[in-house]
Amino acid sequence: MSAEVGVDVRHVSKEFGHVRALHDVTLQVPRGEIFGLLGPNGSGKSTLIRILCGLLKPTSGEATVDGLDVETQGEEVRSRIGYVSQAFSLYRDLTVDENLDFFSSIYRLKGRERAERKQWAIDLTHIAPYRDRLAGVLSGGWKQRLALAAALMHRPSVLFLDEPTAGIDPVARRELWDLLFGLAAEGVTMFVTTHYMDEAERCGSVAYLYLAQLIVGGHPQALKQLPEVTPPGMRRVEAECSEGVASLMASARTLPYVRASTIFGTSLHLLVDESVSNQKIDDDLESFGIGSVVVRDIEPTLEDVFVRLTEIRAAELEASS
Amino acid sequence: MMNGFTAVFRKELTQMLRDRTTVMFALAVPVFELILFGVIDMNAKNIPTVVFDQSRTQASRRLVEQFGATSFLKVVGYVPSRQELQHAIVAGDAQVAIEIPPDYARNLTAGRKADVLVLIDGSDSSIANQALAAANGVVLQNGVRDLMERTGRGSQSEAHPIMMFNPDMRSANLLIPGLVAILLTFSGTILSAFAIVKERERGTLEQLMVTPVSPLAVVLGKILPYLGLAYMTLLLVLLLMRFLFRVPFNGSVVLLLALSVVYVLALLSFGLLISSRAGSQMEAMQQAMGIMLPSVLLSGYIIPLNSLPLPLQMISQILPATHFIKIARGVIIRGASFGDLWQPVLALLAISTVLIAASARAFKKTVS
Repeated sequence: MSAEVGVDVRHVSKEFGHVRALHDVTLQVPRGEIFGLLGPNGSGKSTLIRILCGLLKPTSGEATVDGLDVETQGEEVRSRIGYVSQAFSLYRDLTVDENLDFFSSIYRLKGRERAERKQWAIDLTHIAPYRDRLAGVLSGGWKQRLALAAALMHRPSVLFLDEPTAGIDPVARRELWDLLFGLAAEGVTMFVTTHYMDEAERCGSVAYLYLAQLIVGGHPQALKQLPEVTPPGMRRVEAECSEGVASLMASARTLPYVRASTIFGTSLHLLVDESVSNQKIDDDLESFGIGSVVVRDIEPTLEDVFVRLTEIRAAELEASS
Repeated sequence: MMNGFTAVFRKELTQMLRDRTTVMFALAVPVFELILFGVIDMNAKNIPTVVFDQSRTQASRRLVEQFGATSFLKVVGYVPSRQELQHAIVAGDAQVAIEIPPDYARNLTAGRKADVLVLIDGSDSSIANQALAAANGVVLQNGVRDLMERTGRGSQSEAHPIMMFNPDMRSANLLIPGLVAILLTFSGTILSAFAIVKERERGTLEQLMVTPVSPLAVVLGKILPYLGLAYMTLLLVLLLMRFLFRVPFNGSVVLLLALSVVYVLALLSFGLLISSRAGSQMEAMQQAMGIMLPSVLLSGYIIPLNSLPLPLQMISQILPATHFIKIARGVIIRGASFGDLWQPVLALLAISTVLIAASARAFKKTVS
């Protein structure tokens, strides 16, 4: 395995009894990259993270983290990774300081190094004012910072974050991501699951899991250019309207050349026949008498990409069964 | 093998001492129960008794006096009819009712059989037994005395029972050594089960398992503080037993404390076994109840082992509490030595070994 690869997953499958949680998943994450794993709830994201952290054994296939096999070199892997889980999973009845002391001790940090690393993690996450608070009384954002601090003291080379920003406010979310970028710059590989498309856009590469299978992977920009995202003979436009976007959508769907429509704020995103001009669309939409409309060309969003690819996959599965 | 033991132990100790509920549960509840059970006396006294005396003679009054003279029965009233006699029992005003027929004195002087009707409320079996014994005693005594008066001869044989170890039949002496075992069952099993289940419920166990900490270090680091706490409970209860309730301690304290370690280990292992199956503290509590109830009912603590049907006796044999109660009563009350108690000791050791092995296996499965 190349030392340049932070996480290497090859043909990994996992079954729980008759339930298939992961099927033949293969992906690579270069060292120092932020990798985003997306997919609906229950698609297998957490299962994959748990396999990579050594909490679960894959039914077949193999995976390495930082060049080490997760099954045969589990203990070595565990000392090189950090894990921030979906729900806050540090000790609520211990103070911030006590939590950090505990984890630094578990990770075999000793004496001066322990003190230095603890201070480093406290400075990095700016959690110093809360050192004597019980972890349980911290707000969501500070809890995540504490979890991050606890997962970083032992200088992990790969950091796993399972929906780290679920349920925290936008400012805390932004700050957490700034922190992650800083760590990635230092060469830490990040493996992040998320539901937020804006977070996915920030990743060096993303992959999308659907029904236990990886259906697409790559740089966000490259994914938007995929031909199947915008079907042949179709193009995407945005129609910004002055009022009544909801009733406009209902009306827009009656137009013969509109394949799909979605609301984004006060705009509609439409998938339309390539042959129809923006002027024609504009006129048709305004003819419903709901309000004034401005139509312009747009790129698909990452959400468009995943929604479209999921539809294609679902149709394929339908056809094959 | 033991990486992280000190860290886990220190963390668990901090959490345990910070959690007032746990410490209260482990120390205050046993003390409260001990006092409750120590004060009550299982031997029924002053059972309320009503009398329907149709004879109204000196002989019948003497009989009633004799009934009242036993400390078990207390005459609380006279009623004028049999209906009211029955009503007093049904209503719960009295638990014993005595009906003396009109011809009682006549029959007695004529040397005929003089019947007395004694109604006993059977809804409380322990009271019923004592009332029956008291009533039989009085009547038998009367019969023997009458016979002696008439024949002018003394009784031929007389039993002289000597109550060993507990001469005044104090319930405390019987109950408290057994109670020690029961109280430890509660704190030992529930606390150790909770210690692990709480971590699973809150996701911290998973967080722990992605670190290089060894599973053995987690188990021992988590269990040892509770072993200490359970032991504190034991010492507290023993001190109260000896100095507050003045239950004599006839055997070796060291022997009891040493054997308690085996017992507490069995309980903690059982708690650990529960924790490997239970997903929540609620589930753990319910499963722990599964051993606590039989431990109270089938261990010989309240119901004598011999009066259990055979299948239940077999169950009682696999309960650690059964054997520890034998050991505790033996050492505390009878001053038994290790040699006297080898049977329960051996059984307790065997059960502990099986439980420890099973819990270790179960835990290994949970974390891997």
